[in-house]
Amino acid sequence: MIGAGFELVQLGLRNLTGYPLRTLLTIIGVVFGVSSVMAMIAVGAGAEQELLKEFGRLGIENIIVNSVKSTETRPDSSNNTWGYKRYGITFLDEALIRTTVPGLREVLPVAKRTLPAWSGSRKVEVSLTAVQARHLDLFRLRPARGRALCAADGATLSRVCMIREGLLTELGIFRDPLGSMLRVGNTAYEIVGVLPQERLVGYAQKALAVDAKRIEVYIPYETFANRIGTAQITQREGSFEAEDVQVSQLIVAVRDAEDVIDISHMINRVMEYNHKVKDYEVVVPLEHLAQRQKTQSIFNDVLFLQAAISLIVGGIGIANIMLASVTERTKEIGIRRALGAKRRHILAQFLVETVIVATLGGLVGVGAGYGLIAIVEWRTGWTTVVTPASIALAVSISVAVGILSGIFPARRAARLDPIAALRHE
Amino acid sequence: MTAAVLSLRGITKVYGEGDARLEVLKGIDAEVKTGEYVAIMGPSGSGKSTLLNILGCLDRPTKGTYELEGEDVSRLSDNRLSAIRGERLGFIFQSFNLIPQLTVLENVEVPLLYDPGRRHDRSVRCREVLDSVGLGHRLKHRPPQLSGGERQRVAIARALVRDPVLLLADEPTGNLDSKTGEDVLQFMEQLHADGRTILMITHDAAVAKRAGRVIRLQDGRVVAPA
Repeated sequence: MIGAGFELVQLGLRNLTGYPLRTLLTIIGVVFGVSSVMAMIAVGAGAEQELLKEFGRLGIENIIVNSVKSTETRPDSSNNTWGYKRYGITFLDEALIRTTVPGLREVLPVAKRTLPAWSGSRKVEVSLTAVQARHLDLFRLRPARGRALCAADGATLSRVCMIREGLLTELGIFRDPLGSMLRVGNTAYEIVGVLPQERLVGYAQKALAVDAKRIEVYIPYETFANRIGTAQITQREGSFEAEDVQVSQLIVAVRDAEDVIDISHMINRVMEYNHKVKDYEVVVPLEHLAQRQKTQSIFNDVLFLQAAISLIVGGIGIANIMLASVTERTKEIGIRRALGAKRRHILAQFLVETVIVATLGGLVGVGAGYGLIAIVEWRTGWTTVVTPASIALAVSISVAVGILSGIFPARRAARLDPIAALRHE
Repeated sequence: MTAAVLSLRGITKVYGEGDARLEVLKGIDAEVKTGEYVAIMGPSGSGKSTLLNILGCLDRPTKGTYELEGEDVSRLSDNRLSAIRGERLGFIFQSFNLIPQLTVLENVEVPLLYDPGRRHDRSVRCREVLDSVGLGHRLKHRPPQLSGGERQRVAIARALVRDPVLLLADEPTGNLDSKTGEDVLQFMEQLHADGRTILMITHDAAVAKRAGRVIRLQDGRVVAPA
């Protein structure tokens, strides 16, 4: 090759700076392509990360069974005058799932009830959520202050609770809440832990049947079952209404994530057997995740393809400009050939020029890509993730585009007949 | 007895086929010895340029052999011919053929770029040659900033930079006024006096007379062998 590669680059730069406007326009073509490739990868990766975060809270090895107040639920005929409604998951369901379905790690019942919480004269409707101590570990509900509920709390039927940070503000409690009493419904609970204010959103919220408007107060499941009970009587316009939901929610943790789908079918079968009307739902986060990931990956592919097309257009721009440049510099090529340049010297010279343009475009494109990503984030609020790998990919694609789009013009230059080239004016 | 730098035997060049067949060179025999200053003279259409292209290894003859320093170069590959052009031949063109974007120094450096053995003292060698043609003070200028005579001297410096065995000059004074043309001719005589072998192509009898020997070309044949 001509001396060292460094000289080729120097020569290339010299030729490129000889036509600054043309070079600039060519580079811009690549910049658009590279920055959009980078931005699209970042948007795709961001969406993927959001998805995993959303499902990470649910745990892909979990199956959630929720009690649902079905529209078909009829008041129990024997207690017609009372309006006694009984629906949802029963203790029998729980016991059957526990004893007949194989491959389970644990089955955790949850009881939920909407009740007023009092602090002095202030009242806030909360979602009283009774859970076993293991439930808190499973969903990584770790207190920011104080302690978590433990198995002993349940065993001794303690009236203790763990609240969300946000409840303190809503109730106007500004002193240290640990050790103080919180009245929820008719029972007073000692606050032992405060959870950070954190809301489940999107699918996770729906799957866990979390009440979006009400803040949760966690109490031991055993305390709820033994001191409060599952039946609830409410007075409405002079008449009483009773509702009995034995288990609001069952969290079924599967030992092996591979079995999740099969086990969910078995649970469905057990539930179908016991329930004439569908007053429950079986939620399988893994299934939903797979579906969402599939949709997301199609979306990502389309985005990437679009960005890649703009990069290809940039490459065609380079090829076009280089062809014009070859024609314009035919005489120079003839002179160099007469002075001893071999075909490969000419080939290398033009190829290096296109690679310089593409590389510069790639580097500037990475900068522009950051800008584009910032704009996308600002306008849409999407999460974006820029990884070093995506930068490397964008730059190497642009270099590859440079080489590919440079080969044709460079070959044409190298194959020029030196005599004709010399005669060219 | 000095060795022949080049010897041509039965060089024929035919373009086209069938009805379009055109025989430009019809069997040229010639020899140039080391240190000779030879002019090839002929009217336009006599085949001068075609002969020069063959002598300059830019083209291959249809028939015949062309020996450069005893080596037959008439059937070599494009790659080998490129190397020979770089190593053994120096071109001086009528229209100078400098690269306008490059400085004087860079123009003279071009042949050295294609010399794999020469990397370190390039700039030194170029300055040396430019000094010898009296342009040591114009290194950073670009060709359009120079006069015609200066441009031709840059071209001569470029032809000399790899120390070729044969200088090929194609109407070197064709684009110059008579005074600067005279300067260039004197310079070439100086080169001849220094022992260079020069082969000049011209249609101008006055210019041809300056050479030590004239080969006349007409209709693709040598008409008055020296």
